[in-house]
Amino acid sequence: MTYLPTADHDELRAVVRQLAQERIAPRAAQIDDAAEFPHDLRELLAQQDLLGTCFEEKHGGTGLDTIAQAILVEEIARADATTSLIPIVQKLGALPIIQAGTDEQKDRYLPRLASGEWLIAFALTEAAAGSDVAANRMRAVRDDDHYVLNGSKRFITHGSLADVLTVFALTDPEAGGRKGMSCFIVETETRGFAAPRVEHKMGIRGSPTAELTFDDVRVPERNRLGAEGDGFRVAMATLDRSRLSIAAQAVGIAQGALDASVSYAAERQQFGQRVADFQGIQWMLADMATQTEAARQLTYAAAARVDSKAADLPYWTSSAKLVAGDTAMRVTTDAVQVLGGYGYITEYPVERMMRDAKITQLYEGTQQIQRLIVARQLLQRAGVAHRGSQ
Amino acid sequence: MSNDILFLAEFVAGTAARSALELATGAAELAGQSGGSAIALAYGPGAAAGAAGLGAHGAVRAIVLGDEDRPAITYAAATVAAVRDTAPLAVLAPATPNGRDLAAALVGTLHVPAFGPVREARVVDGVLETEQSTLQGSVITTARPTDGAPSPSIALVLASTFAPAEGGTASAEVAQAPEAEDSAFGKATIAESHEADAKVVNLEEATIIVAGGRGVGGEEGFAPLHDLAAALGGAVGASRAAADAGWIPYQLQIGQTGKMVKPALYIGAGVSGAIQHRVGMQTAEHVVAINRDPDAPIGEFADLFVVGDLFQIVPALTDEIRRRKGS
Amino acid sequence: MKIVVCVKQVPATGADKRYTDDLRLDRSGVEAIINPLDEYAIEQALRLVDDGSVDSVTYLSMGPEQASEALRRALAMGGDEAVLVTDPALAGADEWATAKVLAAALDRLAPDVALMGMASDDARGSLVPGAVAAMRQVPMLSYGAELKVGDGEARVRRLSATGFDWISAPLPLVATVTDQVGEPRYASLKGIMAAKRKPMQTWSLADLDLPADDLAGGALTRVTDTRPPEEKPPTERIENLPPAEAATKIADWLELRKLI
Repeated sequence: MTYLPTADHDELRAVVRQLAQERIAPRAAQIDDAAEFPHDLRELLAQQDLLGTCFEEKHGGTGLDTIAQAILVEEIARADATTSLIPIVQKLGALPIIQAGTDEQKDRYLPRLASGEWLIAFALTEAAAGSDVAANRMRAVRDDDHYVLNGSKRFITHGSLADVLTVFALTDPEAGGRKGMSCFIVETETRGFAAPRVEHKMGIRGSPTAELTFDDVRVPERNRLGAEGDGFRVAMATLDRSRLSIAAQAVGIAQGALDASVSYAAERQQFGQRVADFQGIQWMLADMATQTEAARQLTYAAAARVDSKAADLPYWTSSAKLVAGDTAMRVTTDAVQVLGGYGYITEYPVERMMRDAKITQLYEGTQQIQRLIVARQLLQRAGVAHRGSQ
Repeated sequence: MSNDILFLAEFVAGTAARSALELATGAAELAGQSGGSAIALAYGPGAAAGAAGLGAHGAVRAIVLGDEDRPAITYAAATVAAVRDTAPLAVLAPATPNGRDLAAALVGTLHVPAFGPVREARVVDGVLETEQSTLQGSVITTARPTDGAPSPSIALVLASTFAPAEGGTASAEVAQAPEAEDSAFGKATIAESHEADAKVVNLEEATIIVAGGRGVGGEEGFAPLHDLAAALGGAVGASRAAADAGWIPYQLQIGQTGKMVKPALYIGAGVSGAIQHRVGMQTAEHVVAINRDPDAPIGEFADLFVVGDLFQIVPALTDEIRRRKGS
Repeated sequence: MKIVVCVKQVPATGADKRYTDDLRLDRSGVEAIINPLDEYAIEQALRLVDDGSVDSVTYLSMGPEQASEALRRALAMGGDEAVLVTDPALAGADEWATAKVLAAALDRLAPDVALMGMASDDARGSLVPGAVAAMRQVPMLSYGAELKVGDGEARVRRLSATGFDWISAPLPLVATVTDQVGEPRYASLKGIMAAKRKPMQTWSLADLDLPADDLAGGALTRVTDTRPPEEKPPTERIENLPPAEAATKIADWLELRKLI
């Protein structure tokens, strides 16, 4: 299997890069400062068909391969991590429908998601159930041909903006999270749904991270994805793929920080020479560059395996997200160091990039969870059964 | 082929454009080098009456192509006929939209060498020699026609390459244009004409310009610039960013596709100095820039770069100038 | 109503080392891009399609084989098909030869409007549109901030010394537009994908019945010397002064040079 970007990939990258540098990058500082969601950029991305890349053409998307999707996310994240979440979350929220939906459900929802007319969010996490997905407590009680949802969700990206959500709730609490959870498509216009608050965060400040409450929210049976009890499996299958987007986002953030560092070091003079001419700085830049490229290549390798439906897919996507997230944190921290005092002030973008990078080590499965997934796969390959809570 | 030097002399609203006077002087200079005469091709409203006056700036003869207010390109056939008739060594055209249009018509019809835009022109060894700034100002190239190339050579001449000679009293001998063929170029007509606000000045003729850029922030932000321009006796212009944002009429946009200006003094306030704008004003004799950003590109080619808040410095400067001028 | 937009391909700009507080680094991966000023001509043509006054847009370019990449980018913005005139004999063609080739191709394509952008001052080519019009013996409407077509004629809005005029001429004709047309649209992803399926033809000089000899003989001008520009005295800077003091210094500077 080959995963070298093709000429088509390069062209795509050039086009999105131009758009990102001309229209998104100039807005990044302001989006972060005001902690305001960039509705204008959401419009722009929708117009440019950049919210439909993970949807098939028959649903109005562009059906790009996973490497292409990674490239697009990377280029947007290089300009602004917050804005890159718009296509990322659109895919994350839609994946349960794509994976487990019937043709009828897909026809009903995917076209408006592909066009960007509707935004979707993924509502899995609860206050007491983060890494421990199975500890979910939200209830979905059957009532004739409806389900009644009660409970709340926490840390849901775009939850307060979304027109529709894929929500996970227990249809069979006795069976526990792994076997008793189901997945539902919930339109946020439904009575009983509210997004009472959003968090104040360290980074990706323009992206609303919401608490959601469901108070007797009635969802028709035809909005259940898969069978009752399929929820946990659907969630895991979704995350196995969506975490690839985070890897791409992290690579983009790292690249942006690297570019800023190189540019600064090439111009700033101290002690009668350019900062870039100091060996110590050159070593730092080289480490930043090589690590970013390694993360990028691992991301592409994982993307190729998503498309080839590799049996050990989770091993690859977790590896990519693990390496890329840690790389982004390291590279952005080093970037602040290279810029020195200027790296600490908001007039220069690297402090924002460092704050933005941190989330890539936390969401869609913390780095610790990623390590568990990788280790489990390793041991499985070695024929050793693993013990542990997961 | 004669040794004459032809030049385009555009008349606007009854008077000769500044380019006509500059090229008259330039053509006379070149004619002195070639041993021929400087001959004007005058066109536009006022050309018939004003053609003789070009003699004061160096023209020996003036051929009147037409007196009507119609698009310059409609004079293409007449220009071609006059050029064929006089068989000059060179034709000088202003590097303006109208000048380029007529020069292009000549090149397309006659297949002759074309140079431009040039910042210097002279006759050497019986041929036209020109100098051009290329590669974004990093190289000056000197060029000539190839051996055996047909004549005339056409040169697009940048504004202020030649300074109009003053104080001459000679009169040019006025002649009617030779018969011209019908040409498709003649079919363009002015369907509608709109005059802008009375206070919009033709920047191309201004000798002092105060220009505002993105840093001015809005229409109101231009008020101190208007004051400064008034105190200096100059005109107000703008960068593309300010014109696009609607802070100022677009006729005042200075740049590659706006007005190309060459004032004695250009003051840019809140102008970053991006290449598009720079091309429009970089040949100004003196460039002063006021900008909050110490790294703004304009700081690299300005003669005087003032780092600071234009909303404090510009009014202070206006006051100081008024004080010195005693007004 | 058919428009042919003539586009020129140029090398992509190199890395921009200018650092601003919002990251402006452009390292475009494509080698050949559309001349940025031609993008305004493309945008104008596509706007006329959007408003229904034009039915088809064809792109025409003259250049090496690789110029087809730039044509694909144009098609990604919109438009129906593209034609590339390419021939080894055209390497190093001057303005006149370029005009001759474009004129021959346009005669064959027979559009109502042959639309072009401005040429940048640095590049050669500002005389090409007028030369093409002269060769084809059609009217020219140049330096339009806007183009309109309909009823057998086209009109451009053109800046005059102190205002603007609408200048019109009967079709067919050559028109050029400036960047005042407005921001060119970005190619959408669907546009990029659709572009791959749009027809692109390649024509040689033989296809245009243009003997290579007619165009050979090279340019009529030659460069005889190059030199760096005159040393400019370094920029004087005034920084960190209170406004009144800065104003005094500026006024001194102006007075010294007899500017006030």
